[in-house]
Amino acid sequence: MRVLVAVKRVVDYAVKVRVRPDKTAVELQNVKMSMNPFCENAMEEAVRLKEAKLATEIVAVSVGPKQAQETLRTALAMGADRGVHIVTDMRADQELQPLAVAKLLRTVVDEVKPDLVLMGKQAIDGDNCQTGPMLAGLLGWPQATFAAKLEVADSKKEVTVERETDTGTQKLQMGLPAVVTADLRLNAPRYATLPNIMKAKKKPIATRDAAAAGVDLAPRNKVTNVTDPPPRAAGAVVESVDDLVAKLKADGLV
Amino acid sequence: MQLRNMVRAFVQSDVDPQALQFNRQKFNRQLFRKCGELGLLGVTAQEQHGGSGMDAAAAVIVHEELAASDPAFCLSYLAHSMLFVNNLAQNGSEAQRARFLPAACSGDAVCGMGMSEPGSGTDVLGMSTTAVAAPGDSGSGSGSGGGGYVLNGSKMWITNGTVDGRDTGDAFLVYARTGRGPRDISTFIVERGMAGFSLGTKVEDKCGMRASMTAELVFEDVRVPRENLVGEEGGALLSMVKNLEIERLALGAISLGIARRCIDIMNKYSMERVAFGKPISSYGQVQRHIAESYAEYMAGRAYTYSIAANLDLTTHGCGLDTDAVKLYTATMGKNVADRAMQVLGGNGYVGDYQVERLWRDAKLMEIGGGTLEAHHKNIVRDLRRLQVLP
Repeated sequence: MRVLVAVKRVVDYAVKVRVRPDKTAVELQNVKMSMNPFCENAMEEAVRLKEAKLATEIVAVSVGPKQAQETLRTALAMGADRGVHIVTDMRADQELQPLAVAKLLRTVVDEVKPDLVLMGKQAIDGDNCQTGPMLAGLLGWPQATFAAKLEVADSKKEVTVERETDTGTQKLQMGLPAVVTADLRLNAPRYATLPNIMKAKKKPIATRDAAAAGVDLAPRNKVTNVTDPPPRAAGAVVESVDDLVAKLKADGLV
Repeated sequence: MQLRNMVRAFVQSDVDPQALQFNRQKFNRQLFRKCGELGLLGVTAQEQHGGSGMDAAAAVIVHEELAASDPAFCLSYLAHSMLFVNNLAQNGSEAQRARFLPAACSGDAVCGMGMSEPGSGTDVLGMSTTAVAAPGDSGSGSGSGGGGYVLNGSKMWITNGTVDGRDTGDAFLVYARTGRGPRDISTFIVERGMAGFSLGTKVEDKCGMRASMTAELVFEDVRVPRENLVGEEGGALLSMVKNLEIERLALGAISLGIARRCIDIMNKYSMERVAFGKPISSYGQVQRHIAESYAEYMAGRAYTYSIAANLDLTTHGCGLDTDAVKLYTATMGKNVADRAMQVLGGNGYVGDYQVERLWRDAKLMEIGGGTLEAHHKNIVRDLRRLQVLP
């Protein structure tokens, strides 16, 4: 079984983002960038499948600028066997949009022929939550989003996915190939060990130009203005729970 | 970069939360094992012996990142990974590496090195611990030690000298005198449990670096087999010089880590703390503390990494600059920690903001692994030879 894992380079989760002075986007200059946390979960799950001898090969793919290669190296150090880098200088947080990424990923799926595509449920920059479902739609494959548990049948022909929803846990069973997007609860990603970081330097990364993929990359939405959220107003201290309930009622909040 | 990111993430999740607690307690054995799993303990050791096969720059990165959170743990890490593991990886025989490195790289064994003595520190050639060919040996009178050596003496200020406070650490590289000449010094591997090898005075009540265990090691007629002699008899000086270079860079990296953390803390604090209606970062006096700290930190960082990038672990030749790196960064780290405490005022003087601990830890780099005065001496000795700077 071959697993394709899509990983995205995003502003590190711990960075406090700032809006650029021209209000067109958030500042990316001199900002720490890392692998999207949900992509780490997807990557970790793939490595566990390989350790369980269910997967035979893991291919990591990333769409982004030349620095996205660092993200791919991280994936290779975690345990991917090879990488595919689709190079574009379009801003991956607003200019390069989910449909375009899904179409680019479809070209990689056509080439790599995975039995399972694992991705993060969303990226923490655009927070769109769309690329996985769109890829599944384009491929005509079954999909499970927000996966909190993944089990591959011994036959390697189907998977069972538990996904957490607001109303409880949903269990889905589907045939392969399929697209599964990872939630944080799926696993705890490992740290790449030093020997594996060294080995990752020698693993191959194939590079493709996004513009040459024969895919329409034009954005469908236009960002007109980016602003800071309004500053939080000062809170008020109440004496008791009763006071709190009374105040919430008075403000029409409950 | 990837290495730095990995170590930083590990430090934030696993090292930082325990730093203050273990500052009041002792060495964190479990954390040490985790470092082994990640391949940090054998960062520069050969891959076939459980190491990660990385270079001096990688070792410096690991030290800076660990020290940004827990300098004391990092000091124990240094004593183990540089002074024992790297030393043996560079100077030991293939058989010695195969025997000792796997357990040391995995974290099963906690090891160290013994150079200083109660009566000799900077004056390292004044050491009085002796190793003589064991009686009854077939070796010649010159002490070739065919069947082993007998060690007598003691070593002081040994990081990882003990782990639990009751027994010695697992294995040590010990320098001892094997002849009458001032340079007749040899290196031996002394293992826990060898008859006559015991834990001497535990060093308690240190100013800082409290999560790192320091002790005296005592040798009373310790019979050390010949296969535990590292390199040639009388050949210790070269390996000592080689290993001192990486040791000084690594100690410099601890100061870098301390400085970076202190700058982060005082920068953040100065934006949040308000006095006379404005954040204190808007006052020139505070700005000076922060700005000078940053500039000095970056100067030290540039110096340290430029030397690390050119340091070949298999040989020596960076003595002048590794001395100078540590001379500069040690005092830089101490000064930055002091400024951070000043910026934080009362909050800096108590433990909650980390600065108090970092301030105490920072001083060690002016003393351990070569006092400032030892660096002065070495630098001027080397400059005398150079006469004109290149």
